[in-house]
Amino acid sequence: PHSGVVKRRSKSQSYRRSIRTCFGVASGLGLTPALTARRMNTSRKAPRSQNITEKVKPEHLELLVKTEWQLSYVTPLYQFRHTQLKSYSRQLSAFIAAEKQEGLAVEVGGLQNTFKVSFSVLQGLAETSDDPETVLIQVQSKPMFARQEDPPKTVWCGWLSCINGNPEYLQSLPKDFTCLPLFCSKGAEDLSSLVKSWLQRTFDCCFGPLDINQTTLQWLAALWTNCHMETNIQNLKMIWTLPVLPPLQVTYTVDSDDVLDLWRSTRESSAEKSREAEDEVCIDFSEVTRFMQGLMSHFYRHFRVDLSAGELNQVSSALGSAKVNGKIKISSSRYLISIFSLLTECALLKMPI
Amino acid sequence: MDNSAKHLLQRLVRRIPASMLKSTLDKWERLTAEKRKSLDFTQSKWIITQELVALCEKSELTVKHITELEMIYITENPNQGMWHTFQLVEPEDDAHSVELMQFKEQFKSHLRELQRNVSVKIKKHTDQAVWIRVAWGDGLSSPNHLKATYVVLYLQTPYVFVNALSSKHKPLLLQALTLSTRHQQIKAANLSGQKLTALRDLLMRQYQQVFPTKYPSPLAESDQSISKLRVEKVQAEASANRHRMAGETFGDGMLPALQSAVFKLETKFKDPTNEAMTQRDEPFICSVKFSSSNLLESLRHCASSGIASTPVTPMLSSIPLKGRNYFVITDNVLTA
Repeated sequence: PHSGVVKRRSKSQSYRRSIRTCFGVASGLGLTPALTARRMNTSRKAPRSQNITEKVKPEHLELLVKTEWQLSYVTPLYQFRHTQLKSYSRQLSAFIAAEKQEGLAVEVGGLQNTFKVSFSVLQGLAETSDDPETVLIQVQSKPMFARQEDPPKTVWCGWLSCINGNPEYLQSLPKDFTCLPLFCSKGAEDLSSLVKSWLQRTFDCCFGPLDINQTTLQWLAALWTNCHMETNIQNLKMIWTLPVLPPLQVTYTVDSDDVLDLWRSTRESSAEKSREAEDEVCIDFSEVTRFMQGLMSHFYRHFRVDLSAGELNQVSSALGSAKVNGKIKISSSRYLISIFSLLTECALLKMPI
Repeated sequence: MDNSAKHLLQRLVRRIPASMLKSTLDKWERLTAEKRKSLDFTQSKWIITQELVALCEKSELTVKHITELEMIYITENPNQGMWHTFQLVEPEDDAHSVELMQFKEQFKSHLRELQRNVSVKIKKHTDQAVWIRVAWGDGLSSPNHLKATYVVLYLQTPYVFVNALSSKHKPLLLQALTLSTRHQQIKAANLSGQKLTALRDLLMRQYQQVFPTKYPSPLAESDQSISKLRVEKVQAEASANRHRMAGETFGDGMLPALQSAVFKLETKFKDPTNEAMTQRDEPFICSVKFSSSNLLESLRHCASSGIASTPVTPMLSSIPLKGRNYFVITDNVLTA
């Protein structure tokens, strides 16, 4: 299947096949105990400002920040090679052209060159030696009425990555599998599904939506607040939706200095623990919970409305924003690694194994 | 018809939804029935606009006539843009006797004294509302009809609703309003929203309110075991109680569709479980915005379902009681 020719298969058939193989491979290799026993980490390192520009090319960073990405999880890729990216670019270009051509009998030929795909390695995002390097996929196209000399525009962009992935799990994978569980994309929905379906067919993997659940949003609120010690986050904004008729949305915005004071106060009560490891500041989820409870109790004292009856939908600060439907935007590259480590963990947990 | 009139007409037609175009033109009465009949409303809006411009040109209509059309459209569809509320205070002795003709004359002359080149149009709507359209120019330039300010007031009531008013023109308009309604002052009423009708109903109390009475018990007798009955009875009583208190605060029927309320909080953080924060001297600064397609209905449901504790806190009940949706809360105000 890895020759230059793209074979057409019915979509549903291929999907079913890949799901089956995924489950088959997983249970057959005895991977299950490593993951099913796991839960979200209850403790993680406090994000440290990193000068990531030394590791990652500036043009790549520019691409990653200030863009809202739609998140998905991906199961490990079978026989993926970082050395074959050129060939993948050709294959995916041909696949997109073939799919777009369907039902467009008139314009055969012309479409072949409308979409140009490029796979490349986005170096520097991987944190540990177990993390495979991030793979960037870009689809470029010329607008319908563009002039000859106009440069092609990037119409779709996505990347597959694994940042600080669970080493136990990564090492337990058989040799032929590459684990890049976090898939971020932006651009037209139809291109997203074409790229996904090509990856599914070629690497026998499967995709699924990655929500940013309540726990992760709470983690982000706390981690971003913690960053205010080094970088101004301006304020912390949280949006809840309460299940009443008509639905009530509550936007709760707290001044950054005050929210940091609250965060410090919830950390102080567990100060002994953080003193133990002085160079590695660890944050425990119990502290995150106490912090959120503090915010909610201040709210309750004024409005006598119980926010925990609703759902936290969105958290944002000057460093970025995250929404429950799996959309994330990072506005500062300094904390990119810690945020995407968290999301990698979520993606690994969400995988159906 | 000059270019500015044409431009104004084109912009206006673009704003009016196709389905309302015919009825709005009918009410305008500036084009004869015959001319109106010649328009084919099944065509694209672009073509209708072309034809309409040609018709108006033939009828020698001017900017003045086009602004009439705009006023008809806005008056009939007031729930767009952002409406801000102001309140007239300290009425003079003769404030209650101001009638429309006198107000019209006074308002125009006061405003023209303050600013040259303003174009003012005043019209009384069927529901007693006085609608004012002001197009502002400055010393040299002629009035800009593309960005007109709309003002709605009910004579002999203290509330004034204003749409699209720039900060530059605000003091001028407020002064002219204060003088011509025979008041000494006007202040921001801290109520704003997209739906003029909702703001008006809230302030004029034009919605069904409920006064404290006991609701009939919703629980019918049944022959279940006594303990279960008791539990149900207690629960039903609590639920009935919540419903009653929700009704007492927010009323019982349809509520004005207010869409948001904002609270700026600068109060101390008090939490018995958090000593460090409770001992802190500085206030905890945050802002809370509630939004919904009908905020008061949502809050009523919060109270009746138990998400909000009853009795409803004065913070939330102030929205309907005081007719405000913008509050700044400090510790002094909170205890007062």
